[in-house]
Amino acid sequence: MRRNFTLAYLILVAVQILICNYFHVSHYVMLSILPAMILCLPPKCGPTVSLLIAFATGLAVDFLADGVPGLNAMALLPVAMLRLPVIRFVFGEDVFESGGFSLRRNGILKVSFAIILVLALFLILYILADGAGTRPFWFNISRFGASLLAGYLLSLLIVDILSPDNRDL
Amino acid sequence: MPRDRKVIPVLLSIAIFILLEIVSLHMMSNRKDLQRLWITKASHGFMALTWGTSQSIAHYFQLGKENRQLAMENLDLQKALQHVKAEERAWLLDSMKAGMKTVAGYTYIPAEIVKISSNSQHNYLIINKGSEDGVRPNSGIMTSCGAIGIIDAVDRHYSYGLSFRNADVTVSARLGMEGAVAPLSWDGRSTNGAILKEVPLQYKFSPGDTVWTSGWSAFFPPDVPLGTVGESKIINGSTNNINVSLFQDFTALRYVTIVSNDGLAEIKELESGGEGLTE
Repeated sequence: MRRNFTLAYLILVAVQILICNYFHVSHYVMLSILPAMILCLPPKCGPTVSLLIAFATGLAVDFLADGVPGLNAMALLPVAMLRLPVIRFVFGEDVFESGGFSLRRNGILKVSFAIILVLALFLILYILADGAGTRPFWFNISRFGASLLAGYLLSLLIVDILSPDNRDL
Repeated sequence: MPRDRKVIPVLLSIAIFILLEIVSLHMMSNRKDLQRLWITKASHGFMALTWGTSQSIAHYFQLGKENRQLAMENLDLQKALQHVKAEERAWLLDSMKAGMKTVAGYTYIPAEIVKISSNSQHNYLIINKGSEDGVRPNSGIMTSCGAIGIIDAVDRHYSYGLSFRNADVTVSARLGMEGAVAPLSWDGRSTNGAILKEVPLQYKFSPGDTVWTSGWSAFFPPDVPLGTVGESKIINGSTNNINVSLFQDFTALRYVTIVSNDGLAEIKELESGGEGLTE
């Protein structure tokens, strides 16, 4: 079943808002699928478009999830900026000709590596800005580790949903 | 041209990234006090780092100018130093030219060493005052820090003296102001070491006691400080040999005073007469 990417993306934004509002697992776990969603944007989207999408997505989550306004947007912008270099580094140039990467074509190892890179970048910025220098170092480290593990598992599902194999552009 | 086509979008995306980040941070700082403080602190740190670095760079490029200024200041200081040295030298020479002074039976003549040897067992020194200046053989050579030697031969303008650092020179010294009198001579090794020999065992002393000239030698006036007592050693169970650390640094000698005993001839005459009577 092939899906409309834009519709799927918007639904996932809504899912992220729901997660932020209703799924408070722990203080140590911050569930976020936004980095994976930005990573899965079609390769033909240039950096400028990616940045604008990331900014809009982040702001939407910030305002609708009763968080710190600008926090998700601030952490998500570097992910959008480095999205193409990460894809080029992990998957190579072929992925630009094939229209994107997927678990089936590129394997779970490469996809996992790309997810972890962007998720780690996002979480570092998010946790630092959220704590604003008031949280202890070990709390931040624990939160980063737990959030990275939970976010990684969730992101694998997101990549599968937004992959070009299931995509109707 | 193709390169420009790649560079411009990259620069544009970087500019948009920075702009959007600023907007995000601005929104964060506007709504939450905690984040505002954090961002303010971070921005102050960033600004301090930027200003500090820019100041360092600016300072680095000004080093050439500062070096030239320092070189000019150094030149001025060198000139001032030379001027002061010249004045000091002139003052010393004037004071030397002031001539002889006679105090308590001793005549004092200021002089300057023109040559000194220091690397043999029979060291000597040559002084820029001779017979025309009133210098006589068998005069003492001293400074305020102790005995330097004895005048051995005199020319018209120069005198030849045996240094205290000469195995043949001995100075009569007193241990403390009222202690034993014994011959003091160079230890033959160090630059400021001497040995006070044959001090009877009944005389007590402590390390650090001062050794003075006794005044018995007829070369030096009494009570000129020579050095301090160090370690001692009993010789043949009857006398002490005491190491003395001299006050005078022989490596830094320049100006000295020649001291002549005005009664030396009379003393010699008496001595020779006494010997004649004995005989």
